[in-house]
Amino acid sequence: MNCSDCSEKLDSYLDRELSNTEMLELQLHLEGCPPCADNYEFQASMKRLVKVCCEQDKAPEAFREKLRQILT
Amino acid sequence: MAESPARTAFAEEALTHLDTLYRGALRLTRDPDSAQDLVQEAYLRALRYQHSYQAGTNMKAWLFAIMRNLFWDRFKGSRKEDVSLDDVGEFVLYEKLRDEGAKPEADVLDKLAASEVVAAVEKLPPLHREVVLLVDVEGFSYKDAAQTLGVPIGTVMSRLHRARQQLQKSLYEYAVESGIVRANGTKEVPNNELQ
Repeated sequence: MNCSDCSEKLDSYLDRELSNTEMLELQLHLEGCPPCADNYEFQASMKRLVKVCCEQDKAPEAFREKLRQILT
Repeated sequence: MAESPARTAFAEEALTHLDTLYRGALRLTRDPDSAQDLVQEAYLRALRYQHSYQAGTNMKAWLFAIMRNLFWDRFKGSRKEDVSLDDVGEFVLYEKLRDEGAKPEADVLDKLAASEVVAAVEKLPPLHREVVLLVDVEGFSYKDAAQTLGVPIGTVMSRLHRARQQLQKSLYEYAVESGIVRANGTKEVPNNELQ
């Protein structure tokens, strides 16, 4: 695998959507290629950041109770 | 009126996914009141069509699909907003920061305010926003996201890729505006000058 292949499959690797073989191939490339590994770490941090920031919102308790009253 | 035990059990299980639905609705409508209206309507519809839910399948995905379909029906009309992100190009924030000497690149992410990250997500066109919400925020697989949105997996992948590029472009612009990085420069400003 070269850097171009790695870049193309990085999203799917990040999202754990590759086959086991492909995951391993990409992992081996990352272990031997610091620039791609740095890029991967950055993309992974970015994904975590979006999750953490967007997950902060929870349904208000009063709304949860209101729904429970209506639905059950 | 007392509800049947089966309906109550179904409703209770559905309510365990309330945070996911509320977050999704909030990001789609960008308004807490509209989000609550949308979620309430989605739950009422889910109960009405309870018989169409197959036990043992992904209830969260099923509920999210109901909610986002209502969003498109009620807030956007039946026609999907067709906004292309093709003009984003291959914007790679990591490379941009590396080229500008902002090392280590990931430190820049630590300096971004959560509200700016949320704002960047909300600025995405809705069709791209919902893919980010499902895959990046709620951890849906591509397959589940595709089923929820009623599109092929390839469409999920391409929208997600474009959305991530646009997100990084928005955050880069914010980072430059707020002095976290200097465009075409080589230095970052210290932590205590930020936000």
